Amino acid sequence: MNQERINSVLLGITPIVLFIALWQSLISFGFAPTSLLPPPGAVFGKLAKDFFNGDFLHDIAATLIRLFAGFGIAVVVGVFIGLAAAVSPAVNAVVKPLVRVLAPIPKIALYPALLLILGFDHASKITLVTADALFPILLSTYYGASMVEQKLIWSAMAAGTPRWQILFKVVLPAAMPSILTGCRIGLVISCIVVFLAEMITSTDGLGHMLVQAARTFQTVDMFVPLIMISMLGLILNSLLHWLRSYLLRGFPEV
Amino acid sequence: MTVRGVLKTLSPLFACIGLLCVWQIASLRLDTESFPTALESIKAIPSILGDKGSLLNILDSIRRMTIGLVLAVMFAIPLGLLMGRIKAVAAFFNPLMMIIYPVPKAALMPIIMLWMGVGDVSKILVIFLGVSLPIIYHAFQGSKAVEEKMLWSGAAMGMSAPMRMLRIVLPAALPEILTGCRTGLVLALITMITSEMIARQSGAGNILFNSLDMAQYDTVFAMILIIGAMGIIFDAAFEKLRLSLVRWSQPRDDMPLSFT
Repeated sequence: MNQERINSVLLGITPIVLFIALWQSLISFGFAPTSLLPPPGAVFGKLAKDFFNGDFLHDIAATLIRLFAGFGIAVVVGVFIGLAAAVSPAVNAVVKPLVRVLAPIPKIALYPALLLILGFDHASKITLVTADALFPILLSTYYGASMVEQKLIWSAMAAGTPRWQILFKVVLPAAMPSILTGCRIGLVISCIVVFLAEMITSTDGLGHMLVQAARTFQTVDMFVPLIMISMLGLILNSLLHWLRSYLLRGFPEV
Repeated sequence: MTVRGVLKTLSPLFACIGLLCVWQIASLRLDTESFPTALESIKAIPSILGDKGSLLNILDSIRRMTIGLVLAVMFAIPLGLLMGRIKAVAAFFNPLMMIIYPVPKAALMPIIMLWMGVGDVSKILVIFLGVSLPIIYHAFQGSKAVEEKMLWSGAAMGMSAPMRMLRIVLPAALPEILTGCRTGLVLALITMITSEMIARQSGAGNILFNSLDMAQYDTVFAMILIIGAMGIIFDAAFEKLRLSLVRWSQPRDDMPLSFT
């Protein structure tokens, strides 16, 4: 088992190593000029150096604030509406057609409207992140909550639990695996969207850093924010994974 | 059809009308220059679609999107199926996918533009990259869940490995793959808009953000309506296609899941 694990990790690292080797060799053999494709060493060196740079940390902080605010609102609203739609037929009748219409709309197209209404500050970006992360969370909450076994609810009712407590003590925990899956999708989306919003109009943040570098042809600086957002995504994802295994500690492996 | 049935099929339409009403009231209440009413925006749509230049631009966008999507489907489905059936392939590609998943593909646009120019190639490449990942993921999940017994019976009847892939794994994973394709479709639209917004040369995204820069607010909102309608129409059309392809499988979710 352990040997198998080591093997699969080794196999997984291979394409990443190959990718970096290919990147380096493109430069070493002169296929790409360093002005268009900086060597990996230069990019990672710059990334390490930037960590001691106040502006870079400020950019990361700005991005993270927007990401967390947008994602947090999406989780609260999504879980709330999803639960309500699963429990109450009246809410369901309203929410379902609205979701049908709103979910396939590319939310990024709404960004100009949000800019015009909410201004260029945090608010418009956070709203965009919320709008994009909301639907996967809402839908998975809804499906999770409507799949809850009826017997569980009946037993709770037979034991005399008040109706609204059933919601929090039975339905919400039973729907938790599905909700967390939705959150995971929503988190990746939030990472992507916050970056894009910052690329379109912003004065700080990682996306702005990329655009700024592109305008001044600083190719090294163009790669740094991309690697940073990928790392942020990985870190947040593993945090969520850890939270999941903590919250679902009683569940069989899902 | 019963009254209930009619109500049910028409309910998305009611939702649209309701949303437009909310918009109308909100803009009347706010009453600012930069937030035109729903009616004004709808009135601006014919002038965009009637203009030959912008219509060609929008059609151009759709053409690029279709090419990117088709290429992605052709590449992603075989890869995903292989990953689901062969452990080594999955172990090889999974970490790489985890690294590139949170990178916004449209953010690669400035770099790809440096290499390949602002033309069609770089935009199609970005769309291809963006769409591939969810389709690979869903094809992977789908083919992993194929029942082992069916493969054994196939092998016992003398089917070769590639034949088993084509005749057993592909159909069995098809519902899941199509879920991925649906996500990919919405994603293709998003990537298309963003890539055009960054490359600013042609296309629907270009019209949208140019009119924002030039403060033609009714055009901005009309374009948003057009792009939103494109999303809804593509999604509905794909749903029809999916139902005819996998009529035997009960769809797990009847609401679209949109990824960015």
